Amino acid sequence: MTEEPYRWLEAMANRREYVRDQLKDGSPVFAVSLPDGILLLGVGGGQSKVFELFDRHALAGLGHPADIEKIRQAAIDAAHLESFTRAPEDVSLRRLISFGLGPQLKANFEQIFSAPFLVELLLAELGSEPARDLLFRLHFDGGFQVQSGGVLLAASQPEAESAGQRWLNESLPGKTSRPEIVDLLLQAWWCQVRNKWLAEQMPDAAQRQAGWREAVQGKVVEIGWLQRDGPRPACYQPLTLAQLGLQAVA
Amino acid sequence: MSDPKIAGDFLSLLAERKLLPADAASARGAPVQTQATTVFAFHYAEGVLMAGDRRATAGNVIVTDRVEKIIEIDSTSVLAIAGVPATAFEMARVLQTSFEYYRRSQLQPLSLPARVRALARLLRDNLPMTLQGVGVVVPLFAGVDQSVCPAQARIYFYDPLGAQFQAVGHAASGSGAGAIRSVLSFQERHGAARPSQMNLREAVRFALALLITASEFDSATGGVNPATETFATIKVLKPSGVETVGDQQQKEFLHD
Repeated sequence: MTEEPYRWLEAMANRREYVRDQLKDGSPVFAVSLPDGILLLGVGGGQSKVFELFDRHALAGLGHPADIEKIRQAAIDAAHLESFTRAPEDVSLRRLISFGLGPQLKANFEQIFSAPFLVELLLAELGSEPARDLLFRLHFDGGFQVQSGGVLLAASQPEAESAGQRWLNESLPGKTSRPEIVDLLLQAWWCQVRNKWLAEQMPDAAQRQAGWREAVQGKVVEIGWLQRDGPRPACYQPLTLAQLGLQAVA
Repeated sequence: MSDPKIAGDFLSLLAERKLLPADAASARGAPVQTQATTVFAFHYAEGVLMAGDRRATAGNVIVTDRVEKIIEIDSTSVLAIAGVPATAFEMARVLQTSFEYYRRSQLQPLSLPARVRALARLLRDNLPMTLQGVGVVVPLFAGVDQSVCPAQARIYFYDPLGAQFQAVGHAASGSGAGAIRSVLSFQERHGAARPSQMNLREAVRFALALLITASEFDSATGGVNPATETFATIKVLKPSGVETVGDQQQKEFLHD
């Protein structure tokens, strides 16, 4: 198969289609850079979606739990090795993804006789100020995009992800209160899982709020918070809706 | 601590029985060791207070008065170092990395017994350096025991070979430890305010007084001098985690 370019390209396209099909019911994850930290959010049905990686780094992902776990472990190993060999300040998401995770995911995706990773990921690095925050979007094929600050969404389908990203880019500026941000992210999550972005008429705020409150019943809303200027080097802390004064039941 | 040997310990016993290997530290051309003292920990009403002076010495030379001998390993454990800082700081770094690595990768914190043994293993691995007299470290360790309800902060002390012991009320290490142990023991048995019943303010004032006392009897202990802005390193370990009592807070407590 690999000696014929056309068949190799076809195999790649088939793999891409297979991965997208496997991920199509995945629950999206979000990361937002705020003045006093970075907030990550995911809604899981029994499996974790938001994780601490290192002192100033966190990951949120959707996909197969075993694949997320493999990538999480690889990232934690690399970050701690770098920290111990050099210093915690030398652990950089840019290098971790550009030279580690990205190439590994790409190599795996192109190995057509092995199973591809079924993941879509967001990674966040807390900077000394909001302008230095980095948010990475890492795809199952090793491709990645980086942005400084702002908001980032990872979803299973590219069209819906773009629509959700546009809505968040318009809705979030000027908002800095964590409960307000979490409420908006959960509205976006509900629109994403119920395919509301591409509907003819977008539900209003009251419908979206009622929608997420009903949809998270029986699920776990995971919130990770990377606190800027915290008292200790490890900046990550998990938060709950109740800690933020939000309730799943209206 | 100008002499690496500690009264009544294993190294002293080896010397007494003439079993001590050639002392590399005293060999011609051996580097003069930088050493750090004095550290101690005691239970107070809200948890454990751990404190240390900031002096490092090499023979009779004061190398610096700005050493941090009380090191936060993670959010629920603290290490106090006495002995050779070169070895002790590296041990602290190994512990910091391994505890955090375990917590992040396994998604659960390392148990207190495992933390206590991890330090014991590092001390045992350091045995060749200890026997040569160039890398002896006698630390104290405090950690929160999450296996009991409510969680409790506990103190452990070690010998240079890695044996670990849980301290009931207090522990001290370093060349000024003798004076501090005596005062702590007296205060706990006969004092009007027992350390285990003190609040934070009383405990910090008591800790600073202990260091001042130790520095009057031990030239290697830096002591505390508000006039020169020289304070101790003090951390308190509560069931909720580690907190640092900074210079400003110490100054306020002293002047109250």
